[in-house]
Amino acid sequence: MKRYQIFISIFLFEIIVLVFLLFSASAQVAKGKKEMLSLKDLCSELSLTDLSVWTEARYTRNPSQADWFSPFQDFPSSVEHFPAGSLIEPPMRRKR
Amino acid sequence: MIKHLKILEFALSSLLRRKLKNLAIVSVFTTVTMVIASILFLTHSFKKEALLILQGSPELIVQRIQAGRHALIPLSYVDAIKGLPGVGDVRPRYWGYYYDPLTGANFTVIAYPEGIRKTEIIEGSLPGANEHGYCLIGSGVADARFLQIGDELFLQDIKGRVLSLKVRGIFKKSSQILTNDLVIISRPDFDRLFGFPEGHATDLTVQVYNPTEIQNIAGKVKKLLPDTRPITRSEILRTYDSLFNWRGGMLLALFASSVLAFVILAWDKATGLSAEERQEIGILKAIGWETSDVLTLKFWEGASISLISFLTGIILAYIHVFYFSAVLFEPALKGWSVLFPDFRLRPYVDLYQCFVLFMVTVVPYTASTIIPSWKAAITDPDSVMRG
Amino acid sequence: MNSDILISVQKVSKCFNRGRPNEIWPVREASLYVKKGEVVVLKGPSGSGKTTLLGLIGCMSRPTSGRIILKGQDVAKLPERFLTEIRRKTFGFIFQQFNLIKGISVRENILLPLYPTGMSFGQMSERVEELMETLSLSHRAGFPVEILSGGEQQRVAIARALINNPDILMADEPTAHLDSKLSMNLLETLGLLKSRGMTIVIATHDPLVFETEMVDRVYEVRDGRVRER
Ligand SMILES: Nc1ncnc2c1ncn2[C@@H]1O[C@H](COP(=O)(O)OP(=O)(O)OP(=O)(O)O)[C@@H](O)[C@H]1O
Ligand SMILES: [Mg+2]
Repeated sequence: MKRYQIFISIFLFEIIVLVFLLFSASAQVAKGKKEMLSLKDLCSELSLTDLSVWTEARYTRNPSQADWFSPFQDFPSSVEHFPAGSLIEPPMRRKR
Repeated sequence: MIKHLKILEFALSSLLRRKLKNLAIVSVFTTVTMVIASILFLTHSFKKEALLILQGSPELIVQRIQAGRHALIPLSYVDAIKGLPGVGDVRPRYWGYYYDPLTGANFTVIAYPEGIRKTEIIEGSLPGANEHGYCLIGSGVADARFLQIGDELFLQDIKGRVLSLKVRGIFKKSSQILTNDLVIISRPDFDRLFGFPEGHATDLTVQVYNPTEIQNIAGKVKKLLPDTRPITRSEILRTYDSLFNWRGGMLLALFASSVLAFVILAWDKATGLSAEERQEIGILKAIGWETSDVLTLKFWEGASISLISFLTGIILAYIHVFYFSAVLFEPALKGWSVLFPDFRLRPYVDLYQCFVLFMVTVVPYTASTIIPSWKAAITDPDSVMRG
Repeated sequence: MNSDILISVQKVSKCFNRGRPNEIWPVREASLYVKKGEVVVLKGPSGSGKTTLLGLIGCMSRPTSGRIILKGQDVAKLPERFLTEIRRKTFGFIFQQFNLIKGISVRENILLPLYPTGMSFGQMSERVEELMETLSLSHRAGFPVEILSGGEQQRVAIARALINNPDILMADEPTAHLDSKLSMNLLETLGLLKSRGMTIVIATHDPLVFETEMVDRVYEVRDGRVRER
């Protein structure tokens, strides 16, 4: 087998994998659509305004809502602040 | 066509001569592409998902502000706001945070609102009207406290007494992004847990009939009740949008050094053509390669490396983000967290972003291989006669 | 002059670094001709301008003045594009330094001139196997060139010069890196090529070369001036 054939095979293989991934992506999105809609409904039924992503401290839980924002409530030595620490972990005692 | 294939064949042999160097370039290139593509995929699908879900959040929220801080809102405000033209329903929201010293986690406690429908998101059953002593919990809470349906969740109320709540339902893992830390309990339990003052709510949600009127009504509310702060849904969506952009950007900044290293590598290639390479180009020209043939060779040398690296990087990024939940930098994007949502992201892929990434990696790399050869390729080849 | 004349060089001069203090004229008003099927030798001491002259004849660079008529066409002022085509179709070069590409196999080095052509891989490998056979290189086909001996590298260079079936073979100091036995082998090979009708131009200062009988004409080059001998 010539080198260019190997190269083109690898190239085509990767293209096929990529196309397959993209198709499966849109299929997955389509499949998850119903769930997304019920999530959206739940969001409106519970009148939620924020995602449950940054749950490490009260002040990070609902970034869109007014609150007694203060980064040092539960983790007085938390160096980072809003909306959540990314680089520095909380003191070990607080971490499970 | 056959000519291109043959030049490609020669380009590949030529690359194989410096196996280690080119392997290093391919791996650096692949890694850089993978990291950047992962960040783009992750932020994009996160954002997309967030914005889709939050379409369901209330159009307008009215909070009371006291001394610049959030305060509980008197229920008398409900009727005042209802009196404004264009306003539909106004409902109080009862919610708060519960810091659980046992697990070190924060729960979000919500008083059971009417009108929840049972969907496949909720496992278990919904409570009947006027029932209390139950709770619906997010899967993060269930995991942290090792709870199953039928178990008891113990919380400590404001007076230090234990409040025992029977787990009626658990939100499925797939809904974690919205429900991970929720604890939903009845109004009487809520009042007892927090000692909530009579006649007050946490804040109010306002239904507006005409979406174009939301801003207008927010202004009227502010005028009518100067101690309130209206928050519109579009503001929330906008904030989330920029929040994810900001965090994505911060991640990119973290990896800027690797990108920089890559740029330096490409720059090095672009500026310096080694004497050996110059000599080779001269030889090719001397034995009858045209300038365009030499440039085609250089094109294939650059394109083969960058195309393969780019595709590999994109594929790895996709697998990393959507099959392995972006394990490598999930912490950096979501922050450290006690209740860590490990939801699988739905794979929203923005082809435009991929295209832009292609344009800023493959194209400049290939160009940086061709351009320096240009000068060598257009000069007379007689210098090779003298070695 | 008759129509057998393949190359005719008329009062050709070449200047490097014109107008600068290091201006140099390695070739001055050189005139010579080469007939079809001849073996012509340019002989002269080191630095006399042989290589430069060979480069001018072989369309590697253009003369500062004078005319070079190749197959009835004046090539002195042709644009680069045409010169490349002439180099590919008409000339085969054996360089003073062999100018093989290191790290690449013998076979690929020989094939170099054929990559940018429309010839199929099959035809290419047919030709290269045949050539390697004649020059007894077959057992080295897959080796990287730099591990070959000087004589073998020389033969690779010859094979590469011949792969595109040129009309004229240009050899610059072909015996410089060879001992006398290998030089004799080389001359045999060249003689064989001559007998097949190939025109050959050799630049050398090695008596072994210009005293062989196959040489039809010797030009003496001295300080860039050419004299027939
Ligand atoms: N590109 C150039 N720029 C300046 N001078 C040059 C250039 N090429 C050749 N020369 C000079 O032209 C002269 C003739 O060089 P050339 O290589 O033709 O000699 P030669 O007869 O082939 O010598 P040798 O037998 O050593 O190979 C030398 O003095 C050389 O320095
Ligand atoms: Mg010389």
